Amino acid sequence: MTLGPEQMASEFRLAKVEDHQTILVQRTLRSGQSIFYAGNIIVLGDVNPGAEIVATGDVIVIGKMKGTVHAGAGGNEGAMVVAFRFEPTQLRIAGHVARPAEETLPPGKPGLARIVDGAVVIEAFSLTGDRKGPPSVLQTLPNAPGMESKARRTGAKRRNRGAVSDKAR
Amino acid sequence: MGEVIVITSGKGGVGKTTATANIGAGLALRGYKVALVDADIGLRNLDVVLGLENRIVYDLVDVAHGHCRLKQALIKDKRFEGLHLLPAAQTKDKTAVKPEQMKEVCLQLKEEFDYVIIDCPAGIEQGFKNAIAGAEKAIVVTTPEVSAVRDADRVIGLLEAAELREPKLVINRLRPKMVRQGDMMNIEDIIEILAVDLLGVIPEDEQIIVTTNRGDTVVQDQRSRSGEAFRNIARRILGEPVPLMDLERDGNLFTRLRKIIGLG
Repeated sequence: MTLGPEQMASEFRLAKVEDHQTILVQRTLRSGQSIFYAGNIIVLGDVNPGAEIVATGDVIVIGKMKGTVHAGAGGNEGAMVVAFRFEPTQLRIAGHVARPAEETLPPGKPGLARIVDGAVVIEAFSLTGDRKGPPSVLQTLPNAPGMESKARRTGAKRRNRGAVSDKAR
Repeated sequence: MGEVIVITSGKGGVGKTTATANIGAGLALRGYKVALVDADIGLRNLDVVLGLENRIVYDLVDVAHGHCRLKQALIKDKRFEGLHLLPAAQTKDKTAVKPEQMKEVCLQLKEEFDYVIIDCPAGIEQGFKNAIAGAEKAIVVTTPEVSAVRDADRVIGLLEAAELREPKLVINRLRPKMVRQGDMMNIEDIIEILAVDLLGVIPEDEQIIVTTNRGDTVVQDQRSRSGEAFRNIARRILGEPVPLMDLERDGNLFTRLRKIIGLG
C-alpha cells in the first residue's frame, strides 16, 4: 500500500516525532511484509526485497536494507534512513522518491540518506560517526505519482555534485 | 506417530511435485512408511508424475467429506514398499476442502505413516492455506532465479506467521556451469536472502524430465546426479548428517578417474 501525501498527512498527522515514539522490530521483514508506524522504526534484521517500511520519522536498519523504505512519511523533510547495508529497491523521504543508482554507494556498505537542499542525498556512513567522501545527489524519479518533488524543480543535476543522471528516463 | 511435512514454494513450476515424489520415494527406499498427499485440488499432478493416475477411485475431497474411508482412497505404489498416494480431486476446486478437514486427514494419516508429505499448490491463497493447515514442518523449494527466490521469501514469511518455524530449503535445477560463469545465482546468494537452513541442492538433470514423463521417479537411479541429490535429502530428513555433494563433479567415469589420478 502506498499512500499519497494528503492521505499520509491525515493518516499520521504532521507532527514532530519525539524520541520515545520509536519501535524496535526484532525480525527480518520478508517479501510482502510491511510496517507502518507514526514515529521512528529500528529494525534488528534484514528488510528483504518486496518488504516495505513506512515511518513518519527515521528508519534505521541494523542489517540489509533491500526493500522499499519511506522515512518522514507525511512530510517530515528532516527524516533520514540509515542501514548497515544500504541497497533499497526504492527510497522515499517525505515527498521525495529516489531510486538509488548503483554507482552512488558500493553495495554492502553502511549508508545514510537524507534531504539536503531539497534533494535526496545518500552518503557512506561510517560506524565510528564520521562520514567519508563527498555526498552524492540521487536522481529523483520524475514520474512519482502524486509526489511533486522539490528536488526535481531545483534540479539535482544543475548543482552538479556528482549527480547520477539517467538518460533513459 | 509420524511427521507431516508440506512441500511448498509460492511460485509455480519450480519442482514441488517432482520433489514430493522423489523425496517420498527416497524415504520409502530407506524402509519408512510414507503417504504423499496431493493438495493441488483441481490441478492434480502428483498421480501423473508417479504413474498412478489410472488407479484413482477416491480422492482427498472424498475423504475430507467422509464419502469414503481413508484406506479406500490411498493408492499403494507397487514399486516402492511403503509408499502411498492420497490423490487430489480433479473435478473440484480449492474451496472443496477446509483447513480443519485437512488437519483431520493429516491426523489420521500420521497415525498410520512415518512421514506424511503434502504437495502444496502454487500461490498463497486458499489452496496454500489448506495444504499447510495440518503440517508440522515445511520444505520450501526454489530455483536459482530472482522471481522464485522472492516468492520463496514471501512464503517463508507466511509459514512463520502460521507457526511453521524454521522451514528447510531445497534449491532445484541448479546449473553449476552457469553459476561458475556468474550467470546464475549461487547457493550462497540464495541462502543470504532467505536465511534458512539448506536441506539440499538438486542439479539440473534431463533425467528428471525423462522419468517424470514416464511416470517414474529418479531417486532410485544410482547413476543419476539428481537421484543422488534426492537420496541425500531423504537421508537428511531422517537426521543423518550428509555433506552437500560436489556439484562440480563430472558424472563421466573417465573424467572422474582422471581427477582421482591427478590429471584432471
